[in-house]
Amino acid sequence: MSDLAGIASYAAFFLAFAGIFAVVVLGLNLQWGFTGLFNVGVAGFVAIGAYVSAILTTPDHPEQLGGFALPILAGWAGAAVAAGLAGLVVGVAALRLRHDYLAIATFGVAVAIQLVALNAQWIGGGPFGLHFIPKPFESTLGAGLPFNAAYLAQVVAIVALAYAALERLVRSPWGRVLRAIREDEAAAESLGKRVFAFRLQAFVLGSALMGLGGALYAHFVGYIAPEDFLPILTFQLWTMLVVGGAGNNRGAILGAVVVWGVWAMSGGALRAMMPADAQARGAALQVVLIGILLAAMLVLRPRGLLGEETAISRHAAAPAPADERRPG
Amino acid sequence: MLQLLVDGLVVGSTVALGAIGLTLTYSLLRFANFGHGELLTIGAYAALAVVGALAGFAAPPIGPFSFGWPLLAALPVAAAATALVALAVDAALFARLRARGAAIVLIIASFGAALALRNLLLFSFGPLPEYYSREIQIAIALVPRSVLGGMRVTPDQAFVLGLALACMAALHLFLSRTVLGKAMRATAMNPDLARVAGIDTAAVIRATWILGATLASVAGVFAGLTGQVRTTLGFELLLPMFAAAILGGVGSVLGAAIGGLVVGLAESLLTPVLGAEYRAASAFLAIIAILLVRPQGLFGKAAR
Amino acid sequence: MSAALVVEDLVAGYEPGLPIVRGASLSVAAGEILAVLGPNGAGKSTLGKAVAGIVPVASGSVRLDGREIAGDPAHRMVRLGLGFVPQTENVFAELSVEDNLDLAAAVVGAPRAQRIAGIFELFPDLARQRRLDAGRLSGGQRQMLAVARALVASPRVLVLDEPSAGLSPKLAQHVFAKLAEIARDGVAIVLVEQNVRAALALAGRAVVLVEGRVRLEGEAAALAIDPRLRDAFLGRGEAA
Repeated sequence: MSDLAGIASYAAFFLAFAGIFAVVVLGLNLQWGFTGLFNVGVAGFVAIGAYVSAILTTPDHPEQLGGFALPILAGWAGAAVAAGLAGLVVGVAALRLRHDYLAIATFGVAVAIQLVALNAQWIGGGPFGLHFIPKPFESTLGAGLPFNAAYLAQVVAIVALAYAALERLVRSPWGRVLRAIREDEAAAESLGKRVFAFRLQAFVLGSALMGLGGALYAHFVGYIAPEDFLPILTFQLWTMLVVGGAGNNRGAILGAVVVWGVWAMSGGALRAMMPADAQARGAALQVVLIGILLAAMLVLRPRGLLGEETAISRHAAAPAPADERRPG
Repeated sequence: MLQLLVDGLVVGSTVALGAIGLTLTYSLLRFANFGHGELLTIGAYAALAVVGALAGFAAPPIGPFSFGWPLLAALPVAAAATALVALAVDAALFARLRARGAAIVLIIASFGAALALRNLLLFSFGPLPEYYSREIQIAIALVPRSVLGGMRVTPDQAFVLGLALACMAALHLFLSRTVLGKAMRATAMNPDLARVAGIDTAAVIRATWILGATLASVAGVFAGLTGQVRTTLGFELLLPMFAAAILGGVGSVLGAAIGGLVVGLAESLLTPVLGAEYRAASAFLAIIAILLVRPQGLFGKAAR
Repeated sequence: MSAALVVEDLVAGYEPGLPIVRGASLSVAAGEILAVLGPNGAGKSTLGKAVAGIVPVASGSVRLDGREIAGDPAHRMVRLGLGFVPQTENVFAELSVEDNLDLAAAVVGAPRAQRIAGIFELFPDLARQRRLDAGRLSGGQRQMLAVARALVASPRVLVLDEPSAGLSPKLAQHVFAKLAEIARDGVAIVLVEQNVRAALALAGRAVVLVEGRVRLEGEAAALAIDPRLRDAFLGRGEAA
């Protein structure tokens, strides 16, 4: 295997992952950037998509739900539907809450989902997760560059489709109402537009995209475990959106690529620098660096690389804290 | 069954102290600080470091307790260290975001800060759990086993309960009798009026962080003492603390205290029903129930 | 008598590019009551708040006993001798009457007990209800507490934002009588008011703000019968 093929394989692997993240971040952008909904439990919806798709497509397993062995595309569709349904349930229960309560509630949802994944052996195989998730064209392509490249192509296609669909949606009458709600909720209400219904639709759609991303991840890597969906994942996704620019779909995609790149590079650098027995510490440092990146971004350039100027301040509808609005 | 009460109250005391700090900063700064759990963890590890520095792991324990004087000496140091971290993060990050009016973004920033802090601890101390002492505790039987399964308390648990009560009593006196305490309550009620009344609200905010961090660090030591000192210590208590604060009504110290005890008891009493693995989920269920039934909590004001 | 408070060409507003006060000037001497009048939206409340330091000042000057204070943080102004009574939510509802006063006294320093005793002498009704939570007071009593709270700090200048709002005419008179008493003690009072007739009866001088600028000013008695006063209100807000 020549060096070039190795590099190309890694590049395809890297970009495929970036694309998978992009799908999820597009969903998050719809919820936060366009609708102002604060979902701190993104990892939970991604997990739902991954597990549902895995369960639908894996062959029979003793003592475990599954055995449907459906085609992969059916798995992906099922993942989006399941995550969308979860979004519906959570949305109906929590969307009317004020922003910080919504954040806490969605965070709780993710924790609960992770607990179920970890403990309900009959659903998710417990801490060991689910294995042998079928990879598309696995038999013909095997592993390495051909598979990575083919998967990348599929992911890119899906990202392009999602992007195009979202862009049209945002410019459609439906999207304009959403923007009106975001700008001035009271005015939108008075015009007879049912604010809650629109918000719920956006939330469900965003959740479905997150689930799809989860499924794409599952079928790329081939196995999933509860520890793949920890709060750190939510944090990575939010960092991607903030860095790329909330309220802008291209920003969402760019953010995914950039932050994933920083993550992968810092991971590689730290692995090289740290001695073998301190690898866990190196991984910890990686998180610290990303945390600092997010904080710096929020303070220095809150609109991200491509985001709208006022996307963030517009959502600052919470009451002012004690030291705000100091004159002079 | 009675034993569950004791366990619940001990956990509840820890949650209560943490929730009080959380509700104080929440009501003054108007944002849900997802990093509050890490203040507990930092307190626990800071105390660990001090005990270690004082060669305290091998120090003779005081009376029936598992710890010696080094742990007691560590408490104020841990509080100071935690307060410093809280003030630093506020100055570097939260205050700047507040100045822009980006109130909601603060939550994501706090989430990020939490992860960064937790992993900094992981980097510094490693992934293995630690203990303040290797002493084995003998539980004292308060109620014989024949009565509802009996009730046994370890001296450490009694210490936790006692100190928690003492802290809450001291806090009540502070908030109701001292100028700074009244200034804090006033600023939480109406920051503009507080300024106009001559209160330096920026100083009050700093004082609130110090107070919240102090309570959190004590709670962290409690958690480390009755369990283990590990990097996920505070994060695991985050949902219960939010549940307690919301149950009590955000901004109400009494509410957070009661809420903490209730959440601790609920978690403990639900364990035989849900199974020990789902302990954390019971806090989540509590939050959902409260938000659906009475979002302002026990002592909070109805919809702002 | 030299002026206790001088405001010159003040430009102020909540948002940086949108000034509500667009260049207003006024002055008040010790023991004098100056009424600030004007139609809704004229910026009189904003002017009061800008002077007090809770609305940002874009340009202009505010001098308290000759010392420039424009843009200073509100809490520092209290120490310098400027008191402000907001229109709404002007007491700490969950603190007792006594605590409301104690807090205000504590931030300006000793002698605390003496200050509070002095205030209770001036407001005997409040003394009777000292332990009651401020939120439980009647509307009139609450307004008195709001004024008392500002007075505890012994201000040289007291700015009030529509103190008669929401009060019956009788209660409003009660408050105004108290303000006259306070002025006699030497405090300079800036009275932002919607109730034109009552304000002009109390005040010595007045300014009328229209669209952020001073349109009229003069002796209160003279203004009360000045036809331009009604014009300034565009025919509405006839002297109540």
